[in-house]
Amino acid sequence: MTDIVENSRTSTGAISSLSTLWRYRDLVRNLVAKEIKVRYMGAALGFIWSLVNPLVVTLMYLVIFTYVFPSMQPHYALFMVTGIVHWTLFNQVTSQSCEILVQNAGLLKKIYFPRLLVPLSSVLVNLTLWSAALAVYLVFFPLLGGHFSWVLLTYPFYLLLFFLFVWGVGMILATLYVDFRDIKHLVEVSLQVLFWATPIIYQLDRVPVQFRHVLLLSPLAEFTVVFQSIFYDNRVPSLTITIAFMMWTMAVVIVGLWLFNKRVPELVERL
Amino acid sequence: MKDDVIVVDQVSKSFKLHHNRVESLKGRFVGIFKHRWRQKTESFHALENVSFRVRRGDSLALMGSNGSGKSTLLQIIAGILRPSNGWVQVQGRVAPLIELGVGFHPELTGEENIYLNASLYGFRNREIRARFSKIVEFSELSHFIDTPVKNYSSGMYMRLGFSIAVHLDPEVLLADEILAVGDAAFQDKCHAKVADMQQEGMTLILVSHNFDQVSKYCTKFVRLDKGQVVETGTLGKQNQGWAAK
Repeated sequence: MTDIVENSRTSTGAISSLSTLWRYRDLVRNLVAKEIKVRYMGAALGFIWSLVNPLVVTLMYLVIFTYVFPSMQPHYALFMVTGIVHWTLFNQVTSQSCEILVQNAGLLKKIYFPRLLVPLSSVLVNLTLWSAALAVYLVFFPLLGGHFSWVLLTYPFYLLLFFLFVWGVGMILATLYVDFRDIKHLVEVSLQVLFWATPIIYQLDRVPVQFRHVLLLSPLAEFTVVFQSIFYDNRVPSLTITIAFMMWTMAVVIVGLWLFNKRVPELVERL
Repeated sequence: MKDDVIVVDQVSKSFKLHHNRVESLKGRFVGIFKHRWRQKTESFHALENVSFRVRRGDSLALMGSNGSGKSTLLQIIAGILRPSNGWVQVQGRVAPLIELGVGFHPELTGEENIYLNASLYGFRNREIRARFSKIVEFSELSHFIDTPVKNYSSGMYMRLGFSIAVHLDPEVLLADEILAVGDAAFQDKCHAKVADMQQEGMTLILVSHNFDQVSKYCTKFVRLDKGQVVETGTLGKQNQGWAAK
C-alpha cells in the first residue's frame, strides 16, 4: 500500500481522513492500554481506585440527604446516583483534558500521527474506567428500586451523544489550554459551580419555575434530566430535550473539531 | 515525475520567537500597561524557498552547519511541522529516525514498548506480532524484553528503538544523524542493515554534517545555509574534494 502524504500550509493536518484514522486504530488501543496500566501501576487495588471517588461522593450525599436533610422523594438514592454516575464521566474528562496536549508533547513533536487520536484516546481511557462504575451502578440499579424495561434500550443512543459531547469539550479545552494556562483553574472552579447548577442531587421540579428554563439551557442539566428520565422515571426522554441535547452535542463537536484542526499544527511548535 | 518519491516545492518556514513569553491572562492584561511585561515576538526564517526532488531509491544528504534549517526541513518532510509556504509531497511509508524510541514509556516492558512505538508509525498490532522475533533478535535484547525499559542502559534503549524503526519496512527513511547506535559491533550491524534496505530500493534522507557518514550512504546532496539551498550535486569518488570547502 502506498500513501501519498501532502504537507502544505493549507492541508488539513489534524483531521485526517476516516480511513487514516481507522488504520491507526491499534495505536488508540495501545495508548489506552498504556495509560490505564501506568496510572494504577503499583497500587494493590489497581483500577478499583477509579470506583472509589464516585462511591465516596455518593455515600456522602446519601448520608446527608437521608439523615441531615431527609429527602421526601421516593427512591431518592436511585435518583441521585443516576446523576452522579454520569456527572463523574464529565467531571473526569474535563478536568484531565486541559493538559493532554502538553503531556503528549514528546510524541507530538517527534513523530507524525493523526493528532485527533490524542484527545480521542484520552476520552476513551476515562470511558473505559468509567464503564466499571457504570457496571456497578447497573448491579445496584434494581436494589435501589429501578425497573428493567424497554425504556433502557434508548440508553445507548443518549450515552453515545453524551460521549461525543464530552469528547468535544475535551478537544476545546485541550486546544485553548496551550495558550491560556488559566483555563485549568477556571475549569476547576466552574466544575464546582456547574455541579450545583445541575439538577443532580435535587429535582428540577424544586427549582422555581422562572429559573427552570434558564437552568435547562445548560447541556449538563439536559443530559442529567435525560438520564434521570430513563433510569428514574422509567420514561423515554421528551423530544424537546432530545433535540436540545443533540444540538448541543453537534455544536460542541463541530467547534471542537474545527478549533483543534485549525490550531493544533501550529500549537505543536510551541508545546 | 512519476519516480519522485519526495517533492519539496518552494518550502519556507518561519517561526515566531517569543521573548518574554506570557502565558497567563493576567500577564497579558498587565502587558497592556507595562512595557516590561509585554510579549515581544519576532519572526525567524528557518527555511526560505527550498525546492528539490528525490527519486525512488535515491539517497540524499542534507548538509549544512548548525542552525541552517536542515532538521526543520526534515520535520516538515516527516509531517510534524507544517510549512509556512510551499508544499511537500511524500509517497510511501515514512519512518522518521528523528529520535529513537519515541513514545517509549519507562514503566512498560520492552515488549509493550515495541507495540506502542510501532503503532505510532501506523502499524497494526498483528503486523508487529509477525515481526516481533526479528526486532528482538536484531536488538540483542531477548533476555531483557520482558523487563521495564526504565532498567535499560541508554545503549539498550537506542538499540531497541533503532531495531523497531528499521524493521517496519520503510519506503522512505528520514534520519537525523542517527544511522547507527550502540557499540562498534552493533554499529556495523546497523550500517549493514541500512545498506541492505537501500539495496532493496529504500529512499534515504540523511541529515548530517559528518562527511564520512554522508559519503558512506548518499549519492546526492543538498547543502543549506541560513535556510536557503546554496549547493546541490552528486557525491561520487571524483568530487569528494568538495568537503574541504
